[in-house]
Amino acid sequence: MSGRIHYLALPALVAGAFHGHATTYHTVESAQKACFPDGTEFAPGDVKLTKDQMKAVEKASGVRVRLDTQRVWRATKDGQSAGWFIVDEVLGKHEFITWALALKPDGSVQSIEVMDYRETYGYQVRDADWRAQFLGKKNGAKLRLDEDIKNVSGATLSCRHITDGVKRLLAFHDLVLKR
Amino acid sequence: MTSCSNDSVRRCRPLLGTFVEVTAWGEPARLDRAVDAAFAAVTRVQTLMSFHDPASELSCLNREAACRAVTVDAWTSHVLATAKEIAGASDGAFDPTVAPVLQRWGLLPDLPLRKPGGWRDLELLSGHQVRFGRPLTLDLGGIAKGFAVDCAVAALQANGAESGLVNAGGDLRAFGPRAQPVQLRDPGSPGRLAHGFRLQNAALATSAPTFSRSEGGGIVVSHLVDPATGSAFVAHVSVSVRAPTCLLADALTKVVFFGGPGAESVLARYDAEAFVLAAEAMPLAA
Repeated sequence: MSGRIHYLALPALVAGAFHGHATTYHTVESAQKACFPDGTEFAPGDVKLTKDQMKAVEKASGVRVRLDTQRVWRATKDGQSAGWFIVDEVLGKHEFITWALALKPDGSVQSIEVMDYRETYGYQVRDADWRAQFLGKKNGAKLRLDEDIKNVSGATLSCRHITDGVKRLLAFHDLVLKR
Repeated sequence: MTSCSNDSVRRCRPLLGTFVEVTAWGEPARLDRAVDAAFAAVTRVQTLMSFHDPASELSCLNREAACRAVTVDAWTSHVLATAKEIAGASDGAFDPTVAPVLQRWGLLPDLPLRKPGGWRDLELLSGHQVRFGRPLTLDLGGIAKGFAVDCAVAALQANGAESGLVNAGGDLRAFGPRAQPVQLRDPGSPGRLAHGFRLQNAALATSAPTFSRSEGGGIVVSHLVDPATGSAFVAHVSVSVRAPTCLLADALTKVVFFGGPGAESVLARYDAEAFVLAAEAMPLAA
């Protein structure tokens, strides 16, 4: 079929046909392990921000602070500070993301890992038709939506809200955490 | 189909301005290292070819290659050679030098000078040296993401993964015995899914103006620029291309948008095929 341009029709929208999809990439423990070397210990120390602190972080980062509690772990290795591990949530246009930011002891970014990614898709509710669109699907395996809606090709989703989240958490570290 | 391992590692990081997801199947002891290597490869492509990073090789080319030959990394050299080849094969329907239009619309950061050159002025010399015959602004946004996916796949394979899937914001490639289910977004309503595929040992990239439509100065613009007219494609249409590599798939979506009746012969040359999703049947080549 090489060289062909195939024109596909869009299925009609059926109201109320939505399917939430969530992918879990990391638990807190596995994300900590991915961000820091073996043997690092993590002491939880969640931080509750005052109204003034929230305002200060917003002003310094230019990003809105939505939640007043930040999940934080202090990382140590062999008795020395290894930095910070922070779990955060951001809300995109179509998605809700839990992610982790690992900071070095000097407050610079060590790594970023997405932990949970949730997205809601609408789809055509007439399942048989919808399923029949799967080209080259010959093994008879029953399509399970939960399993199979995981690879989506289409317009690029921006990661700008994570970039904003990094700005906000760097200001949080600077103004609250390291004090 | 031979037996395939059910052990897998799946991870996701914000890179290339989007979300990059890497999944590897195989012997558990090898998978973490393979996925780390894949992300390292994507990060390297970003470091070399980002338009937004003033320290990237691409930014260095845009500043200096009109004045002198600049030596670039073998990866950058490969992407530039492929970009120029596809630009030539499609008579400029794919064009990595349309950045000034996007800058004027505020879709890319602006540079002080408007530059007159086009893809024909991109000179690739021996020893990975690059020179611009006339001043121009290169933007690899339409091709580097696909290349990053290919590099991630190569890293997974080199580190012993049996099967894998790399998805960079909807440009994806699968390898190994697993057939991967892939859905296309509805270009008019990205929260909806429209069609499903099974992808095996192939790449699929999709371009659509959906997420870049903006009302800049009263006109609707997008990052999909017709090189022949300098105007944006703003209808709710997506083009997906299946090709052997994601680099090709990514670039060829633009050829289908703007290549007119000649697009099919370009697709055939690269062993690729295209899928167009539109609210109403509207042949792009008309």
